[in-house]
Amino acid sequence: MRLLVIEDDPLLRHSLTEGLREEDYAVDAAEDGPEGLAKASDAGYDAIILDGMLPGFDGWELLLRLRREKATPVLMLTARDAIPDRIRGLDAGADDYLTKPFDFDELLARLRALIRRSSGAGSNLIEIGEITVDTGGRTISRNHEVVSLTAREYRLVEYLAYHRGSVVSRTELYEHLFDENEDTLSNLLDVHVSNVRKKLGASFISTRRGHGYCIE
Amino acid sequence: MRRYFQSVRWSMMLWYGLILLVLIAGLCLLAFRLAANDKTDQIDREIRGFQGTFFRALFASKPVEKKNEKKSDMDEIRERLRNPGDVSAFPPELHALFSGEGGGCYLAFWDADGSPLFVSANAPEGLTPPVQATDGPPRYVEKKNFREHHRKGSDGISSIIGRDISAEQGDLVRFGLLLALGGGALWLLGLSGGWWLAGRALKPIDDIGLTATRIAAGNLDQRIEIANTDNELGRLGRVLNETFDRLSDAIERQKRFTGDASHELRTPVTIILSETQRALKREREPEQYREIIGTCRAAAERMRALVESLLILAKQDLPTVGAAHVPCDLAEITAGVADLLQPMADEHATKIERELSPALLQGDPHSLAMVVQNLLSNALVHPPAGGIVRVRTLLRSEGSLLEVSDSGPGIPAEHLPHLFDRFYRADSARGPANGHTGLGLAIARSVVESHGGKIEVESSPAGGTLFRVVFPAAS
Repeated sequence: MRLLVIEDDPLLRHSLTEGLREEDYAVDAAEDGPEGLAKASDAGYDAIILDGMLPGFDGWELLLRLRREKATPVLMLTARDAIPDRIRGLDAGADDYLTKPFDFDELLARLRALIRRSSGAGSNLIEIGEITVDTGGRTISRNHEVVSLTAREYRLVEYLAYHRGSVVSRTELYEHLFDENEDTLSNLLDVHVSNVRKKLGASFISTRRGHGYCIE
Repeated sequence: MRRYFQSVRWSMMLWYGLILLVLIAGLCLLAFRLAANDKTDQIDREIRGFQGTFFRALFASKPVEKKNEKKSDMDEIRERLRNPGDVSAFPPELHALFSGEGGGCYLAFWDADGSPLFVSANAPEGLTPPVQATDGPPRYVEKKNFREHHRKGSDGISSIIGRDISAEQGDLVRFGLLLALGGGALWLLGLSGGWWLAGRALKPIDDIGLTATRIAAGNLDQRIEIANTDNELGRLGRVLNETFDRLSDAIERQKRFTGDASHELRTPVTIILSETQRALKREREPEQYREIIGTCRAAAERMRALVESLLILAKQDLPTVGAAHVPCDLAEITAGVADLLQPMADEHATKIERELSPALLQGDPHSLAMVVQNLLSNALVHPPAGGIVRVRTLLRSEGSLLEVSDSGPGIPAEHLPHLFDRFYRADSARGPANGHTGLGLAIARSVVESHGGKIEVESSPAGGTLFRVVFPAAS
């Protein structure tokens, strides 16, 4: 899962990106409105954390512009907690609202909910045959026994599980698993996929040659 | 009920009703008194006239015989009274005296020994000679429904001439009733008129009270509706409306300020909370802990700067608190601050040009240094690096002058009116990153105003911003 943090305060931006990376998200950051909009429009993010007060143009303006082209889930983050501000944010296209100061765990839970909802899932548990993906606890179990996966492997399964039934291209997978700073070779994906197959069964992830991967 | 008497309208009405009652009652009594006196005078005249008629008739009925020398006039009168003669010779209005028919006047005469000389047939029963000192003045006596003229002459003859006055008394009672009814009606009319007037006069006060209540309940936009009158209440309403305007402005400003302050404090609090939460999630390398603590510290420093600025502002807002004003030289203070900020200027590759001539004033050197520092550091930080900042102090006729100007790109005109507002930032991109809380200029203005001076800014899009501070010269 790849997130974009648009926040002008350098300390808070740093804290958020570090915190989210430690939760195994791929995280990009932007420090003002124009940069945030450019990144949000270019890359496929699973969710955007957007501060209200931004240099350039503010978060509400950014949302209005972004919504013309993308429906990426947006969590607005702002110190202004007046109800008109929240209404303005939600009406501009925000999917959720969190006021500063917030609890980091709540932020994580809200992000999970946003990503879950945007993929049409209703619960944190995704059951695929004998495999269960718990997006809340970030664990994967096979026949009710937890299988140990690396963070990246887990995110790979999670992303494919959210897009169950459809073929996910290698580019899309790559885009959602690695942030802009990572310059890994794309065959790293194949390594992750083969590791997951070893742990969860060879038929769990099927390869569509020339198209990508898929969980049936 | 008590509540009613505590209302202005009711107490006004109470006094007004009392005064009106006394006035009307007084007038009615006076009218009654005058009418009664008039009636009595009329009756008295009638009685006296009747007496005259009687005597004239008495002497007319029988011609006076030749004067008997032996007989005095009084004896003649006695004689005639004892024997009035032929009734038919009397005029008709006197016939009742002999026939005993009711109504009209009656009369009775007694001799000195109390023996009756003549008692008219229509006189009330039990009529006795008047008791009074001989030769006293005649008296009018009223008993029950009779009014009588009592007289006891020096000649010994006493007389009572009276009249039934029940008709007149009845008239008077009716008149009195009429007066009472009329007066009562007038009083009620006056009361209702007064009630209406009092209501009309007090209505604006009620409106004012109602509006004030709504304002007190938190509805700060309410204003008193003033009719287009220039009376006392209209003026009061206008004064109150102006006061409400100022109060609501002040409350609004205070609200915004508190909101802004908490907004500014929220970001560092968020940073500290999220960093500490992150730190506690798992065991880390010392280096990571150091980094997290460093971030927390930076956030805390920012909060400290903000809290200090807020405290300074709060202190400046108190009218009398603050350091004692002492004679000081603006040039000296400015030179000190410029020295202090020289490293900052070097960092920005900005040159500070000083034109400092002595400018004496009464003030608090510490606060004044804060003003210079805020202005100078703004001029150093905001414009792009490599410019020139000029500071000038001088003494003019209007007072001590401090000018700080930069060669930067200038501040857009729309920001100028708000530049000294608390937490106002002309460019939000500057943000809190460079340690600015958005309170520096607000503090500068606050200090300058507490010194009786004023601060202005001039800026043109062509470039250059000039802050000018004028303090009243030391006396």
